[in-house]
Amino acid sequence: MALRMSKPFTVKLLALSTLSVLALSACSQGSATKQETAAPSEGGDPKTVVRYMNFSANGGNEETLGAIEAAFEAANSDIDVQIETLPYDDYFTKLQTAVAGKTVSDAFELNYENFVTYAASGALAEIPVSNAAAYSPRVFEAFQHDGKQLGLPVSFSNVVLFYNKDLFDKAGLDYPTADWTWQDEQKAAEAITDKAAGVWGDYQPISFHEFYKALEQAGGSFLNEDGTAATIATPEGEAAAKWLVEKSGTSMPTEADGAGTPDFDTNLFKEGKLGMWHSGIWMFGGLAEVEDLNWDIAVEPGDAQKASALFANGAAVSATSQNVEAAAKWVEFLTSSKEMVDLRLEKAWELPPVADDALFAPYLEQTPPANRQAVIDSLDAIAMPPVVVQQQEMQDIVGEELSNAAAGRKDVATALKDAQERINNVIK
Amino acid sequence: MTSAAHTWEPIATRKKKTDWKRYGWLAFFLLPSAIPLAIFVFRPMISSLWISLHEWNLISDMKWVGLENYSKLLSSDQTWDIIGHTLLYIAGYLPIVYFGGLALAVLLNQKIYGRAFFRSAYFLPVITSWVVVALVWQWLLNPSNGLVNQVLGFLNLPQPGWWTDPVWAMPSVILASAWKDLGFVMVILLAGLQAVPGDVLEAAKMDGTNAWQRFWRITFPLLSPSSFFVIVISLINGFQVFDQVYMMTGGGPSGSSQVIVGQIYDLTFRYGRAGEASALSWILFLLIMLVTAFQLVGQKRWVHNA
Amino acid sequence: MPDSTVLTQSTRAPQAHSSSKADKVTSSRRLSGRSLVLHALVVLGAIMMLFPFLWTVVTSITPSGTLASGPSLLVKDPTLDAYRKLFDSLPVGRIIANSLFIAIATTVLQLLTSSMAAYAFSRIAFRGKNVVFALYLATMMIPMQVLVVPLFIQMTEFKLNDTYLSLIAPTIAAAFGIFLVKQAMDSIPRDLDEAATLDGAGHLRIFSTMILPLTKASLATLAVFAFMGSWNSFLWPLVVIRSPEFMTLPLGLATLKGQYTTEWDVVMAGSVMSIIPIAVIYLFAQKHIIEGMSHTGLK
Repeated sequence: MALRMSKPFTVKLLALSTLSVLALSACSQGSATKQETAAPSEGGDPKTVVRYMNFSANGGNEETLGAIEAAFEAANSDIDVQIETLPYDDYFTKLQTAVAGKTVSDAFELNYENFVTYAASGALAEIPVSNAAAYSPRVFEAFQHDGKQLGLPVSFSNVVLFYNKDLFDKAGLDYPTADWTWQDEQKAAEAITDKAAGVWGDYQPISFHEFYKALEQAGGSFLNEDGTAATIATPEGEAAAKWLVEKSGTSMPTEADGAGTPDFDTNLFKEGKLGMWHSGIWMFGGLAEVEDLNWDIAVEPGDAQKASALFANGAAVSATSQNVEAAAKWVEFLTSSKEMVDLRLEKAWELPPVADDALFAPYLEQTPPANRQAVIDSLDAIAMPPVVVQQQEMQDIVGEELSNAAAGRKDVATALKDAQERINNVIK
Repeated sequence: MTSAAHTWEPIATRKKKTDWKRYGWLAFFLLPSAIPLAIFVFRPMISSLWISLHEWNLISDMKWVGLENYSKLLSSDQTWDIIGHTLLYIAGYLPIVYFGGLALAVLLNQKIYGRAFFRSAYFLPVITSWVVVALVWQWLLNPSNGLVNQVLGFLNLPQPGWWTDPVWAMPSVILASAWKDLGFVMVILLAGLQAVPGDVLEAAKMDGTNAWQRFWRITFPLLSPSSFFVIVISLINGFQVFDQVYMMTGGGPSGSSQVIVGQIYDLTFRYGRAGEASALSWILFLLIMLVTAFQLVGQKRWVHNA
Repeated sequence: MPDSTVLTQSTRAPQAHSSSKADKVTSSRRLSGRSLVLHALVVLGAIMMLFPFLWTVVTSITPSGTLASGPSLLVKDPTLDAYRKLFDSLPVGRIIANSLFIAIATTVLQLLTSSMAAYAFSRIAFRGKNVVFALYLATMMIPMQVLVVPLFIQMTEFKLNDTYLSLIAPTIAAAFGIFLVKQAMDSIPRDLDEAATLDGAGHLRIFSTMILPLTKASLATLAVFAFMGSWNSFLWPLVVIRSPEFMTLPLGLATLKGQYTTEWDVVMAGSVMSIIPIAVIYLFAQKHIIEGMSHTGLK
């Protein structure tokens, strides 16, 4: 029987585990004491720490946010802002858990769609605003709840119509203008589409965000007046859904063609195989890098009226924060200071939520696209997303029923009726 | 297992002392795992049971609702749908991954060229993240230009819509999962195969049995503890399938591939219904417990434990 | 129970059924042709298995930053830009050191707790053993997605949030490992330890000098999976860690995905970097998995 050769193994295992236990206890002590205190300011008083959690700086703008933070701390030497940046996909998982554990940061970012959920749950503290006039009124009011300012707009991005000039030239078409309607877009899309060559005329995601906007373009409204019920199983709703769904397969690639997989539409446009593309202004940087791509933008075509989608992010102060005052100060600086406006425009990091359009001048001077003015013009007719407390669930339902209609599993009217019924069950 | 209790009780008078000593050793060997599991798994489990009796969106205060979450779930068609999808997944996944992994383990336990390389190659998918694997399989199973449908088209076979078709979405997930986990099963069974003594197989060969017979009569029974482990674990994991569904189909199209844990995740972190999610996870717990208990009892019939 | 050992089973098995002579002749004839087919199959399978990994590598050295519309193994102008970007945007050294430390600590602790508990279940008789074992298994039956929130609240009570300990504590012991090792111990003949007991050996000696070495293959397997589990762990570190100095690799890699756009070449470079350490561990462990039994002299 072999009882030897084993000692070293066991001894090693035991020694290793003892060591790791020791190391563990050491490091847990090391960090437990480290947290909440900050370096004293020059006067000797301890600084007030404001922790701020955000997602929009992730993926390239961490330094810009750091510069805004530095500017704030230079002006407020008694406050130490500690920033934590997380990717958008995981941000809300973490935020909710932190709120549940009552350890959430003093201030945190919320996109407009999720703001209502937090505001209605009593998680946010009211922010005393000293210079309300500095904000663009539409987005400023978006972060009010029950008459209280529970958040301030941080930034916004909007959606415009991107188009490939070469494909328009080839088809002998005029470029899109701000006056275009759905019919103009559809005609151009059909003329450009050349399935054999893998060229498509149009791409517009069949999603909640595109749908609510198209619904407003058609003259309808997603929710009723007091926001208690969906009103999408209407003639306007059908027009909007048909506008999205009926392109699919004729002038727009279907899911079976790969639509919906990561980067599918981006690649198609970059490869010069997409005539028109409904996408956000965050694409400017990436497209500018592509050589030989001849593109520009226009205000999105409307139907009964014009309406452009807006993605707004805001910042809020936690109701459980020990430093509401300092946190509110930081949030106000982050959302309205001159330093922020300059830094944002310089780095093209979304757009600052300011009232004064003249401030956008440096942004508008950059090219491509040549017609950057369309970004500002789009703001004349904004369609804010409908928001309810059960926001995610509502968005998922719309997405699912629209894809049912797009794939032909249901006709448009049935899909909308089902969606409306399901939404009303959820948001009641 | 059951008869063991008697072998340690030789004389009645010494029983007390032996017991004391034995339970001392038991504590020594068991507590290092029992204590952390009790604190870091059992306690949160009990908390989740408590949460399941409340309405809670993680953000506001909890509201007591008693058993309402359970009755709501059990009376909803959707719950039965997602349980059905999960069972469908298991029914497809388990046989492929077990017999495929078994074949691989046996194959790569033989003397073939580059054996060590192949063992690593087949393990690589296990350690590749689902983010990447899901992208690759979405492409392979792309209905219009994916590799799989091109091959099927070449062979004049029907080309399904795979993950874009409600009927084929779950088979797509099964295929990708089985492909990814083959190496997992292979490694565990390979370790188990090392317990099969070569001389016994040699002797059986002398007796004139063929490879097929030797496998089923010697190797397979001796491998049964490992097989048992693989099947129990794969079932427990199969009931909790989530990552691949989330990344490949997102539960769609039209909810056709939504599974239990997918729903639990959505309810907790996206829909603000943590109470319902906890209730659903306890329904899941009962399901898994039932199946596992059934296996633990049934193992005496086929698992050759020492 | 002691009589159903490996040796007795295996000698009994062939006698239970009689073999047919006709099979034998044909099978030895076909062997070389079949071996060729087997090799071809194994190679084909290996290509299928290697493909996604190769694609990951290829995308990571493809300039442009977006996913190609379909995987391709040809690169026009290979570049290491993505790796450079990865190192620029993340403190890669620190992140890898964190992940390594946590994964190694978890692995070592799990090897220890698993082998000890497995020994108790396999070799010490006690009342209610089946119930206790079922309780252990029960810890695998509630999905992590549901435990994260209560576990986080509990960690906050313990004031352990945002520490290395908070990352390691929930995986000090795992039923998976205990079950795996227990199965291996169960197949070790009981004659061995009974003889040792008669020689006066205690539990500690039997455990460490006899049983452990004989379960080396399973321990090596467990080491791979424990390491992998910790190395890839995402949801728990996401919620419990907030200081950048504790950031682990999956958290770091997740930051490469943006709200609207993603640079896939950098994501793939990160994937390659996260696969390599596990591959190394596996290569190292594989030797033990295969040699586990043959070197112990159990005959």
